[in-house]
Amino acid sequence: MADPNTKQMPQKSANIAAGAVVCVESEIRGDVTIGPRTVVHPKARIIAEAGPIIIGEGNLIEEQALIINSYPENILPDTEGVEPKTMTIGINNVFEVGCVSQALKIGDNNVIESKADLGKNVILTSGCIVGACCQVNTCEVIPENTVIYGSNCMRRVQTERPQPQTLQLDFLMKILPNYHHMKKTVKGTSTPVRN
Amino acid sequence: MASLLQPDRVLYLVHGEKKIRSPLSTLYFCRYCSELRSLECVSHEVDSHYCPSCLENMPSAEAKLKKNRKRICNQLNENFRCANCFDCPCCMHTLSTRATNIPAPLPDDPSKTAMKKAYYLACGFCRWTSRDVGMADKSVASGGWQEPDNPHTQRINKLIEYYQQLAQREKLERDRKKLARRRPYMPLAFSEKYGLGTRLQRQRPGAPITSLAGLSLKEGEDQKEINIEPAQALDEVEPLPEDCYTRPINLPEVTSLRQRLLQPDFQPAGASQLHPKHKHLLIKRSLRCRKCEHNLSKPEFNPTSIKFKIQLVAVSYIPEVRIMSIPNLRFQKECQVLLTLTNPVENITHVTLVGCEEGDPEDINSTAKVMVPTKELVLAGKDAAAEYDELAEPQDFQDDPDVVAFRKSNKIGFFIKVVPQREEDGDVTVSFKIRHDFRNLAAPIRPSEEGDAPAEAIWLTHHVELSLGPIIA
Repeated sequence: MADPNTKQMPQKSANIAAGAVVCVESEIRGDVTIGPRTVVHPKARIIAEAGPIIIGEGNLIEEQALIINSYPENILPDTEGVEPKTMTIGINNVFEVGCVSQALKIGDNNVIESKADLGKNVILTSGCIVGACCQVNTCEVIPENTVIYGSNCMRRVQTERPQPQTLQLDFLMKILPNYHHMKKTVKGTSTPVRN
Repeated sequence: MASLLQPDRVLYLVHGEKKIRSPLSTLYFCRYCSELRSLECVSHEVDSHYCPSCLENMPSAEAKLKKNRKRICNQLNENFRCANCFDCPCCMHTLSTRATNIPAPLPDDPSKTAMKKAYYLACGFCRWTSRDVGMADKSVASGGWQEPDNPHTQRINKLIEYYQQLAQREKLERDRKKLARRRPYMPLAFSEKYGLGTRLQRQRPGAPITSLAGLSLKEGEDQKEINIEPAQALDEVEPLPEDCYTRPINLPEVTSLRQRLLQPDFQPAGASQLHPKHKHLLIKRSLRCRKCEHNLSKPEFNPTSIKFKIQLVAVSYIPEVRIMSIPNLRFQKECQVLLTLTNPVENITHVTLVGCEEGDPEDINSTAKVMVPTKELVLAGKDAAAEYDELAEPQDFQDDPDVVAFRKSNKIGFFIKVVPQREEDGDVTVSFKIRHDFRNLAAPIRPSEEGDAPAEAIWLTHHVELSLGPIIA
């Protein structure tokens, strides 16, 4: 696996699959895997401090979004014996502008709206929408198709999941490379897509 | 500090039925009575109704009622709701219409399918859609959405008509008795059983009152006898379902009180019965001074315009006092506070400040002694073109540097001395009276043979209270 594009162990680089569009101005630190058809806007930050982050396909991570796998508050980074926990993010999620996500498990088709704040102990299943400026840091699994909205974080269940943003993803994958440089992707066995 | 510019730091006293202290930005000035007026001592009148989302003007309730008196109750309902816009039943935001493409068979050839547009309502805030309650997508963008019918509408209409008739009959009897006895001072409340209340009725002399009993039949029209069946009490009540106590509650399905009470005719307990309602209209109101019946504020008729036809706000007539800087306030130590005075009118204003005397009935809140400058302060007129005119010579007012800190076009900064008298917690409050000359341009223009200046100056006095913040020990 002497791939000239990936650095050697320890895995401290971004593992960007072919077909993903990741702008150079985004900050990706640590062991991050990004799936195909994912778009990462400039000024987005994906920081894997306390463990790796695995992002699936078809996700849309907008400007100033922060996805961080951080240490729990009471543990110093230098403590030994701390297991690195993997943060998994599924497919077709949308992280809107300025949101902060520390949730360790995010399923599919979720929308995290602008300036929303997800704590470490939340687990999002599928089809959830966390509304703008809502802070969710309870220790629970949010059931499917839940909408959290309002200043009091009211909740309701919607009957259908939010639609995947395929049109927007296609548009961005065409337009972003015209204006930004892209990070290098790992050339996989599938047909190479332009960088 | 921006907090010094907060409006509730400086309060002006309004002499009305109640003594009200409020910031100058919320007050109106009646230039015919030459007095400050607050929102509580003016009468509010509805000018027009408009929808806040489509900004469409609705004809006034009276016009609609006169047109079609048969369906009275429905009109009353439709009067105050927009025909095009809907409110989300879940979060009360405005619903927007979205379109999807669905394949539908062509009417000519059932085997081929073409993409047709289907419209549904969706809320951008809580993501509620009309499909959540089972409302089918409509093929037209607007006008296809119906509110569900209330099964009790007919009974309610009949009851309302019956009681209207009853009220009219009682009113006629009372008026007849009133004329017979010839009592001069009969309160208006007695003649209108379902009227809006005496105060509002008094404020609108001559205008038709849009209450239930306000509709009077014309002379000569036969009064139909409406009979209603009295409501029947039932002995048997529908029993509760058997699993009422054992069935687990599906919390997302339960509606909140607010959601339920916004639909008073249905009050659904389940979220799957929450149907969208038409949007409530807002009003444009005009204010009228109660003493002289002149309009103080009259907005434009067009809902898209925020201007006013008549706007007699206090900030454009009365000099405004604002706090500029406060030093550390110490108990029983003299501190110097910097205030600013702004002149809103275009001619020179002379302002005198007078401290409140002992035992002044208006001075109830002050917790400190204040020494105001004794000399008269002169404020230059507000000149809109001054900032563009570089060659203008600054006017020379001989300012005492102990009193006047700075002067800038129509604003001056001056010092007052404050000695806090109470050591307790809470803000230091001072009050004084401000006396200024006011040129009344609203007075009727007399013929110029008088030779007088077109505007005579009258002197107005206002009681001002300042909240200076806590004592720092």
